[in-house]
Amino acid sequence: MTIRNRIIIAVAIQATIICLIGVFVYLSFNTVLSKLGVIEIIDDLNISLLEVRKSEKNYFLYGDVNALKEVVERGEYLDNVIQSSKADILKTLGPGTYDTMRNNLNQYLNMARGVIATKKTPTKFEEDFRSLGHELTRLSEVLLKRERRDVNNIISTSITRLIASLGVVLLFQLVVWQYFSHFLIKELAIMGNLIQMVSQGKLHEVAKQTFSPKNEIDYAIKALADMARELEKREAVLLQSEKLASLGILISGVAHELGNPLNNISLIAQGYLSLYDILEDGEKKNFMADVLTQTERISRIINNLLDFSRQKKQELQEYEPEDLVERSIALVSNQIKISNVKLHKYLQPDLPHVYVDAPQIEQVLINLLINAIQAMPEGGDLTLDVGQDMENGNLIVKVKDTGAGISKEDLPHVFDPFFTTKGTKGTGLGLSLSYGIIQQHRGDIAVESEEGQGTTFTVKIPIYQPKEREEDAQADLDR
Amino acid sequence: MPKQILIVDDEKIVCDMAQRILTQEGYDVEAFIDSTQALDRIRNKQFDLVVTDLKMENVDGMAILKEVNQLYPDTKVIMLTAYATLDAAIEAIRERIFDFFPKPVKIEDLKRSVKKALGS
Ligand SMILES: Nc1ncnc2c1ncn2[C@@H]1O[C@H](COP(=O)(O)OP(=O)(O)O)[C@@H](O)[C@H]1O
Ligand SMILES: [Mg+2]
Repeated sequence: MTIRNRIIIAVAIQATIICLIGVFVYLSFNTVLSKLGVIEIIDDLNISLLEVRKSEKNYFLYGDVNALKEVVERGEYLDNVIQSSKADILKTLGPGTYDTMRNNLNQYLNMARGVIATKKTPTKFEEDFRSLGHELTRLSEVLLKRERRDVNNIISTSITRLIASLGVVLLFQLVVWQYFSHFLIKELAIMGNLIQMVSQGKLHEVAKQTFSPKNEIDYAIKALADMARELEKREAVLLQSEKLASLGILISGVAHELGNPLNNISLIAQGYLSLYDILEDGEKKNFMADVLTQTERISRIINNLLDFSRQKKQELQEYEPEDLVERSIALVSNQIKISNVKLHKYLQPDLPHVYVDAPQIEQVLINLLINAIQAMPEGGDLTLDVGQDMENGNLIVKVKDTGAGISKEDLPHVFDPFFTTKGTKGTGLGLSLSYGIIQQHRGDIAVESEEGQGTTFTVKIPIYQPKEREEDAQADLDR
Repeated sequence: MPKQILIVDDEKIVCDMAQRILTQEGYDVEAFIDSTQALDRIRNKQFDLVVTDLKMENVDGMAILKEVNQLYPDTKVIMLTAYATLDAAIEAIRERIFDFFPKPVKIEDLKRSVKKALGS
């Protein structure tokens, strides 16, 4: 589900809860309001009733019929009030209460009317009339109390429920927050990992990520994987173009190197012709064998170049460091020969094996060697020191020259793609690609330089540890 | 007594072939693949002619030329090179050189130049 949809759902749930609370509050307060209306009515009734009872009291005190007439008058007014509030009373107190109230009142008034009409007070009239009036007062007081209690109850339960539902909203919000933060953190962590891998040059592992995206972050991850795939493609193209560029440099050396065997063959042929008459059969045979050796030498030189130029998929294999170093030197040996550079090679004996893509590592070494030679146009010492890190046993290759060095301003940029101080003669790709290759091998490449003194590039490559490799492969699968 | 020639070139075939052909022409020829050994030999014996390659490991042709000129002003030097850069040629001429051959070397030209150098 997309994150957008998840957020919409969370917000919708929240909105529904809040609406329900709103409706509940509205209903509660509505009830309270109508109850308050009724209380007002009952209060009115009570006051009118008290007036009636006052007149009743006067009658019994002074025996004045006028007071009794006042009772009837006020009683009828009270009855009118009850009738006009019929709807409200029915609604909140029910028809039973309404009827009881009116019946009692009418019975009470009829008694009074009877006395006024007959001008006679029946026996026990005072006692009955008073008790009926008392009953009316009691009823209305009970009602008032009940309604007041109801209102109190409604208000207090409303408050409790309101607080409870606010608690629910808060809780829900917490859950949503937890859910999103967990979910987002998890997804973002995956993405962070991938971005880190891209920055470490492990494009291939990122490019491998194929899955069907379910949300926005997945889409971003997919875009990242697509980008890595595209970068990988471009890097392959760049790698190849830089290879061709260094090939161009190597070719000038090779052209010279081819001169020697060609000269040899030419000399053999000329010697053969001019000495033909005095040569013995065995010697003639030797001449031809020499020609063969020289042609083999030529094809070896050409094959070396072809091997280097060929584009291959990255393939990790176990190698002896000596082999890698020797092959790289063989390719630049002509370059060294035609320059005034002197090569010093130090190979620590019994070096551990490395697990690498040989053509790529050779390309790195060739880049470093060519850069070093180019840094010493007037000649100098090129030192290749191959040893081992005391701490972790990693292979360390140092390529040191006594050339121009790199200025402090340029030093941070030498690994940048397209950074070159050689104008059109340089591509500026050698070091940046070398950096990528070494990163992919989980190694490290660093530079130290002193202007006018020379430069040292240090390459570290992890040694071959079969167990560790398997674990890595397993970890890759788990991801 | 035949003229004394020393040949130095790190290509064995150049040494062998030059030695054979020049011996055939009637000269006394010593050939060295290792230029350090050749330099030692030059210091111990005066040759009439030194034929040397320019680019070699350790001691290169220019060093041999300088050494010969310093020790024996009469000894001629012919230089062979596969890498005929202008700089090298100019430097060689300044150092008094008799002849300069780019590889591949024509044997007939070399024979002629040797004959001229030795004045025979
Ligand atoms: N050994 C070195 N000595 C001095 N400068 C160097 C050396 N190696 C690299 N550099 C500097 O780093 C730049 C980038 O090198 P690189 O990526 O190989 O590209 P390019 O060789 O095509 O210029 C070079 O142009 C040069 O300025
Ligand atoms: Mg370069």
